[in-house]
Amino acid sequence: MSSQEVMMIAEGIVDTLYMTIVSAFFGYVIGLPWGIVLTVTGKDGIHPNKAVYQVLDTVTNIMRSIPFLILLILVLPITFFIVGKTYGSTATIVPLVISASPLIARMVESSLNEVDKGVIEAAQSMGADNFQIVARVLLGEAKISLISGATITTGTILGYSAMAGTVGGGGLGDIAIRYGYYRYQANILWVTVILLVLLVQIFQLIGNLISAKLDKRRV
Amino acid sequence: MPVIEIKNLSKTFINKDSTVEALKNINFSVEKGDIYGIIGMSGAGKSTLVRCLNFLEIPTSGTVLVKDKDLSTLTAPELRKLRCNMGMIFQNFNLLMQNNVLDNVTFPLTIHGTRKQDARDKAMKLLQTVGLSEKALSYPAQLSGGQKQRVAIARALACDPEILLCDEATSALDPQTTQQILELLKKINRDTGITIIIITHSMNVVREICHSVAIVEKGEIVEDGLVEEIFTHPKSKAARRLIIEGKDPDQWENGEESVPSTLPEKLMENRRVRIVFSGTSSYEPVIANMILTFSSQVNILYADTKDVNGIARGEMILGLSTDSAIAEKQVSYLKERGLAVEDISGEASEGGA
Repeated sequence: MSSQEVMMIAEGIVDTLYMTIVSAFFGYVIGLPWGIVLTVTGKDGIHPNKAVYQVLDTVTNIMRSIPFLILLILVLPITFFIVGKTYGSTATIVPLVISASPLIARMVESSLNEVDKGVIEAAQSMGADNFQIVARVLLGEAKISLISGATITTGTILGYSAMAGTVGGGGLGDIAIRYGYYRYQANILWVTVILLVLLVQIFQLIGNLISAKLDKRRV
Repeated sequence: MPVIEIKNLSKTFINKDSTVEALKNINFSVEKGDIYGIIGMSGAGKSTLVRCLNFLEIPTSGTVLVKDKDLSTLTAPELRKLRCNMGMIFQNFNLLMQNNVLDNVTFPLTIHGTRKQDARDKAMKLLQTVGLSEKALSYPAQLSGGQKQRVAIARALACDPEILLCDEATSALDPQTTQQILELLKKINRDTGITIIIITHSMNVVREICHSVAIVEKGEIVEDGLVEEIFTHPKSKAARRLIIEGKDPDQWENGEESVPSTLPEKLMENRRVRIVFSGTSSYEPVIANMILTFSSQVNILYADTKDVNGIARGEMILGLSTDSAIAEKQVSYLKERGLAVEDISGEASEGGA
């Protein structure tokens, strides 16, 4: 590999990390409250509301069922409206966030639903309001599950970001497609694949370490 | 003046394809400083009942008065404030597993706006009361069941409540730990005058700690009153099963037989009475004297002593003379000696009175 190619791959790593981290961040900005509302308004939630739940639930299902590659194309006008262009890593963040948010909402919902109903009842018996229950009981007790959810989500976003390479999305996936697929440069293809695998591994490792450190349920 | 008054309370759960009347026309009141037991088998509705007392469960009809305030008239913030004045502990402790002991105890204080440092000082004092000061920085997962319940008690006491609700608080604990927790509750009741309401399915718990008791069966209170009174003169079938047969409610299901069921048929034909000795009647050898007086034998079918509110009560089931005239005299003899006499003949055939 030429030094130019090495530089390009290094840039690819930075772009991939940039897309993944920023998308995960905005994904949580949208998906976390979304998941909380799903949990709270659900049938066994602390403030059941059938109408709100059903609307959100349906929207989540619809968005979750659109394949990422198709969504990427569907939202091009939105991407252009927000970023001003439809190619490159910043532009890829828009479909990544749109695709990750409902996934995150579901992850959050399932984590929060795991919280022991008895503990919620205890908080109610002490006079906690719903906001305090969400902040101090649901999020606090579910934090380990939320972190492992975040780890899985980040891995998924990283995978999606590589897919965006097919439409000039930037990052390692883009390089793999342009050099590995269009130009048959197998060495670059393999290097990018190995790097993607390594990145996912690193995210997983970090996630596991944080969970283990924070979990107080173990003796 | 009663601290809690329940009037005509009913609770009906309506599901898609069934309606369940969990509670039917419940009436009772709890005096300040009392330890009030609510006993019944699982599914009798007692957990629903205790949740109606702090409106975690909203009754279908009827009123709940706590210190003369009708809970149904309170706004949500008023209700939350009142709940802090009614601590509650649970069978499964329900502690925050990701918070340490100290933060668990400060939780009710901080959600009501107490400053963090003040809350901690208060919590440390409460942990001292329940004997867990050195565990303040431990996490619930590191504690035994009894210790977890102590933390839960400290947490329930954080807002200086006047009422403590206990929902099967000792059911998940072994007998020895149960004893310790009951001692602690008694001590807190003595020291602070707090009113305690205990939901249980164990007669032992009621005998050990309660002053008054209500027996709940199929969503209704079948008998209530002072534990001592019910112990000496049980009226309802449920109370007789609890006290005479010594059966906890969960054993009632297939329970048409009475205690001396293993006795030979012949003995069952005799007139049988249950007598209860109070503290003062124990000096005279009543049974021996009775035998001498009537020169007729009696059969001691069962005898035990039980601790009722810290007072030892002797209990005996006698098979009296086959001669009914003498048996009648024997009963009056026992009554004259100040013993509580309960006729339990025919209990086996009729399945109780």
